[in-house]
Amino acid sequence: MGLVNFLVYLAIMMGIYAILSLSLNLQYGFTGLANFGHVVFFCLGAYMSTIIVLVFKMPFILGLLGGMVVAGLFGYIISIPTANLKEDYWAIATLAAAEIVRIFFLNEDWVVGGGPYQGGAFGIGGIPQPLRSLFSAHTYPFFYLVIVLVCLVATYIIINTLTQSAFGRVIKSIREGDNLPQALGKDVKRFRMKVMAVAGSFGGLAGCLWAHYHGFISPNQFLPLETFIIWAMVIVGGKANNKGAILGAVIIMIFYNSTRFLKDYIPIEAVTLASLRMVAIGILIVVAMLFMKEGLIKEKKTLY
Amino acid sequence: MTVVQVVINSIVRASELTLLSLGLTIVYDMLKFANFAHTEFAVVGVYLALFLNVTLGLPIIPAAIIASGATGVFSILVDRAVFKKMRSSSGIIIMVTSLGLAIALRNTIRAIWGADAQNYAVPLQTPIITEYFRITPIQIWIILVGLAAMFAFHLLLHHTKLGKAMRASSDNPELAQASGIATEKIITWVWFMAVTFASLGGILIGLETYILPYMGFAIIVPVFCATIMGGIGNPYGAMLGAMVLGFAENFGLYIDFGKIINLGGILNFSKELFIPTGYKPAISFVLLILVLLIRPRGILGKKKEG
Repeated sequence: MGLVNFLVYLAIMMGIYAILSLSLNLQYGFTGLANFGHVVFFCLGAYMSTIIVLVFKMPFILGLLGGMVVAGLFGYIISIPTANLKEDYWAIATLAAAEIVRIFFLNEDWVVGGGPYQGGAFGIGGIPQPLRSLFSAHTYPFFYLVIVLVCLVATYIIINTLTQSAFGRVIKSIREGDNLPQALGKDVKRFRMKVMAVAGSFGGLAGCLWAHYHGFISPNQFLPLETFIIWAMVIVGGKANNKGAILGAVIIMIFYNSTRFLKDYIPIEAVTLASLRMVAIGILIVVAMLFMKEGLIKEKKTLY
Repeated sequence: MTVVQVVINSIVRASELTLLSLGLTIVYDMLKFANFAHTEFAVVGVYLALFLNVTLGLPIIPAAIIASGATGVFSILVDRAVFKKMRSSSGIIIMVTSLGLAIALRNTIRAIWGADAQNYAVPLQTPIITEYFRITPIQIWIILVGLAAMFAFHLLLHHTKLGKAMRASSDNPELAQASGIATEKIITWVWFMAVTFASLGGILIGLETYILPYMGFAIIVPVFCATIMGGIGNPYGAMLGAMVLGFAENFGLYIDFGKIINLGGILNFSKELFIPTGYKPAISFVLLILVLLIRPRGILGKKKEG
């Protein structure tokens, strides 16, 4: 893999994870919802888009929208029973919900029509890439990078506008406790559900982009581990700051992808290296929570 | 499989879960945060016992006891290094920290011992086979240790000064401190007991099945489910929750739901309808969400928070 190719790959990954990190930041940073199952949106977006494009032979853009709608709907639905729970119950409930969805895709291969597309534990291959025929194998990644960046910019603008609006002020007050927004007559539960729907659909968007870039998805790519990597991004970058969320995604992705070259220089097994990499991410979360609670870019304090 | 066999399997599972849930519930109660590293501490104990048992050749019983005690001490050190600095932080901050700790612990174990399944050096188990069921000596051990742990816990809570101080500190930390109870000392004991019990539970699971770095993550949802079902901070609730979950997991796969839908033969919708075994892990997840939906304060519902 040439250096340029690697950098383009890295940039695409950064873009996709930045979208995930922005959408987790909307939940945790702004609203105080500790979603430990964020990967479920990523997973649903990837699967829905794949089913729509591969099985039903629809265009990419419909897959993208379909993935976003389904992931957003899922966010809305799982918050119906859980929206009034305390944050620790919320965390375990979302973790469980994400695993149920993953187990579903692991066990049911008929959702992708079975047969030629496999599905289940084998995963699904041959997911078409949008407008692939217009580009050569060499130039296509650059085009895909443009798609990812357009999506990232759109996500940033929408979430940023949202958090600076009246809606943003309400969800920030929810983060500080239910009493104030309730005294102002805000329906706290509805706001939480809306946040989950919006954040869910952007998580779904990231999933679609991921599936069509790699051309292959399987339930093993959506383990809870992914959720924790996104958490590290939000915590390191700076919660409740959208620029921070993107910075966090960039830093963690550089760290995550550059350490894989270490095995060329140090005699170390790939499995051990992968473990050590996750040890570092775990320690990073602990250290950041202890000494750098606000993250690299602090939340802007505004007087209203 | 006979009903008796399913009941035995359920009780074995419940005993394992009890050992893990008891610890989670007292830490939760004392420090007011959901400790996502709880089951990972248990796995540290599991691998320490593996080291003592397989590498150093110690018999399994002393190996399990030493490893569990050592893991208890290890958790105290972690508390001093990390959680003690966050006593005044909100529960959500400490919870996220414990998540980071869990990831670090799990992967440290994987880096040292590898990702493959391993086993303790114990002689091959000859099961006791009767007409209705079969049970291995290890399964009998699991049930006995589970019962002993419950009994020891009850004695500790209600018949020792430490238990009284623990209950006082959890009900009202300020008042307890004003009455001369050294809260920090109690917290140290709580960590030690919680993690020692959890490690023992983990080792028993390892003895019954096999040892994997991911086993801690595999049981975190069932353990949380049992704890929440019983009502957080309620050890007796945790025991009851573990029992309900143990039975639900085993009977969930055993019951023919087709018969229930057909109302025992009156209707005729479907012939047989079993939950596929691939969904066994999902049973506790679904149960957890149902419990949160219907009774977020647990079956016994002792605690005021929800």
